[in-house]
Amino acid sequence: MPDDFRTLLTLVLVFVPLSLLSIGGGASLLADMEHQSVTVHGWTTAREFADLFAISRAAPGPGTMLSTLIGWKAAGWAGALTATVALYLPSSLLVYGAARLWGRWRGSVWHAAVERGLAPIAAGLVLSGGIAVLRVSPGGAAVWLAAVAATVLLLRWSQLHPLALFAIGGALFGLAGLW
Amino acid sequence: MPKEVPLGAVTVETGGAVRERHPIGLAAILAAFFWLGVTSFGGNTAAWLYYRIVQRRHWITDAEFLSGVALSRIMPGPGGVNLTVQTGQRLRGGAGAAAAVVGLLSGPLVIVLGLSEAYTRIRWGPVVHGVLDGIAAAAIGLTFATGLKLLPSGSARLGPLAVTLATVLCVGVLRWPMLPVVLCLAPVSIGLALARGRNA
Repeated sequence: MPDDFRTLLTLVLVFVPLSLLSIGGGASLLADMEHQSVTVHGWTTAREFADLFAISRAAPGPGTMLSTLIGWKAAGWAGALTATVALYLPSSLLVYGAARLWGRWRGSVWHAAVERGLAPIAAGLVLSGGIAVLRVSPGGAAVWLAAVAATVLLLRWSQLHPLALFAIGGALFGLAGLW
Repeated sequence: MPKEVPLGAVTVETGGAVRERHPIGLAAILAAFFWLGVTSFGGNTAAWLYYRIVQRRHWITDAEFLSGVALSRIMPGPGGVNLTVQTGQRLRGGAGAAAAVVGLLSGPLVIVLGLSEAYTRIRWGPVVHGVLDGIAAAAIGLTFATGLKLLPSGSARLGPLAVTLATVLCVGVLRWPMLPVVLCLAPVSIGLALARGRNA
């Protein structure tokens, strides 16, 4: 078996279980990815992993695109595609099946009750997600203050495009870094 | 850049009926999610999806979005991608789900790889780290604003509000594992919804 193929196979064997077992999303996935790629398989050094994490933070899209970068480090373009598909496809198929099954009961009384009952929990989970990111943010008090200001601005001024806010936030903190 | 307009002149509340009369094309789904992917800075796909797909395009309702969020979080896998799969499925079945996920991931995939190619040429000084902090702060703000907009509203909302608060306290503040918290709160909240339905 050629080495390239072996690496791709290892990527599949690492990312498919991550995809299917990681309940709780991004944060728990990142910890597992670090362990696998730094400690177990040596695809990246700890320093490289931190750099890749910074790159994935700077890019748009899901934070878990870090998997693409790990695959790329391990085996180039083929590795990038393999890791991406291995991380996203299994969980996507599972959730697709669940969504179809769930949709089949649309219109029934209990379907409506479950949907209405889950809504306040979902709102709480969205808010908790914000708190979790705030907690791991390296920027400290300035980021906390800016996050609160951004929240108030977005709620008060519904015409405000979030991207404008992102540009302002990036520019202000960038300037602060210069200073 | 696709234009972001609601479908025709129909109201948001009738999302399901609208979709039956005006099915959204696969190309439109692909384009919308591609645009979502390449502009969703800060990593919180769900908050961006709410802004682009629910608020701007009215393709799904608040209720559909929230039930999608609940399912996307209790299933394994990345929450934002899970939510994208369900939204695509809701819009146009299996093909819709595939178009949505491919659209969402293809742009960022090329961008992260391009960034890491350019990596050695970028000077990761305090300015770049500052910009990343600023983006993170805006992303957190967008997440909080989304959550607050989706707080239970209408009459008899005290029960649902208490459920939201309990969720934030347990998962967000006390950092208890999410799955058991949801499994404990869900029956209570669904019971409340059933009781309200019976009174209505």
